[in-house]
Amino acid sequence: KDKKAKPHRPLTKIILRRLPPTMTEEAFLEQVSPIPEHDHFYFAKPDNSLGNNVYSRAYINFVNVDDIYLFRDKFDGYVFLDEKGVEYVGIVEYAPFQRIPKKKKKKDPK
Amino acid sequence: PEAPAQPKEEEPPMHQFIRKILHEDLQKSNEEKILRLMRKLNWDDPEVAAVAIQHLAGGWRVRASARRALARLTAELAAWQENVAPAVVDTILEEIRVTMEDPHPKYNQRRIASVRYLGELYNYKLLDSRDVFTVLYSFITFGISNDHSNVSPLDPSDNVFRIRLVCALLETCGAYFNSGSSKKRLDYFLVFFQNYYWFKYSDPYWTEENKFPIYVKYIYQECLSSLRPKLTLFTSWQQCKDAIEEIRQTLYPDLGEDEHFENDDQGEDSVAD
Repeated sequence: KDKKAKPHRPLTKIILRRLPPTMTEEAFLEQVSPIPEHDHFYFAKPDNSLGNNVYSRAYINFVNVDDIYLFRDKFDGYVFLDEKGVEYVGIVEYAPFQRIPKKKKKKDPK
Repeated sequence: PEAPAQPKEEEPPMHQFIRKILHEDLQKSNEEKILRLMRKLNWDDPEVAAVAIQHLAGGWRVRASARRALARLTAELAAWQENVAPAVVDTILEEIRVTMEDPHPKYNQRRIASVRYLGELYNYKLLDSRDVFTVLYSFITFGISNDHSNVSPLDPSDNVFRIRLVCALLETCGAYFNSGSSKKRLDYFLVFFQNYYWFKYSDPYWTEENKFPIYVKYIYQECLSSLRPKLTLFTSWQQCKDAIEEIRQTLYPDLGEDEHFENDDQGEDSVAD
């Protein structure tokens, strides 16, 4: 099932976890801009069925591996505030799933 | 299955519609029709796309009999909507992570169902065997002390649920790990899994009066014997430790860096220095 002898590819997709649940994508981008060169960005709203563990999160696939460390140094442990001033400490990790959407978008004739 | 969380405010009709067709209506017999409806959504509207992805990731919300249909529908939809597959898998992996950070028993049914759903998504090729093993190893390493005198709050002595999660995932898709690199990966994983089982089983918390749950022992034995009927299971924690030491000696130098997640010392996926 797996292709043999896959070339070693560095991890490039990161997740920024534990963002304020009410945060919008726009507000997030405002706070972290400019994001270094990247080819995928996805901001996910929280899953409200997770009780006390409701957070937003963001995924970024970086083009240059070195940018990951700079981004990590800046935003791992960074305090994000929601509109009421509640603090949320962001965590930067490699995303456990490294796939990103394929570039070319097929148009669905539906 | 748990009842779906009741929204505080009235949901927009489009959200209700997506929820209804995916979590109530969908069955094997009407999958084509519901796929057509899903394809017709306005995917350019970020809110609609986000809600659709959340519900496609909600495999724990559907009846067990509809789980495979939802996985197949997600896979077929992903051919048209490129964002769907990674976002759905990301969402489920985050849920798995969150419920390991907060291992409250109220999530247990949901955790089993989500993990089985992830296995179904693997069967429809939305993720690789490599990704499945990342999850499997996380169950037996994340926040785990491997030391009975140092109990981890994320893996209390009396909590044997991670064994069940491993078995649920292997039951769903482990039968496909029977050739090439995925077979090898499973063979190695089963050594580490047995080690984790014996770590839990030999915890001094369990006594004559308060025995290790017998049904978990059966689930564990049944899972391993159906995957590897000829495998002789280890019968003590020490045997597992010896086997792991042997793997370390003979195998680790050959694994290469991209297999770093198979290192059982690595509890968290934090960005390395």
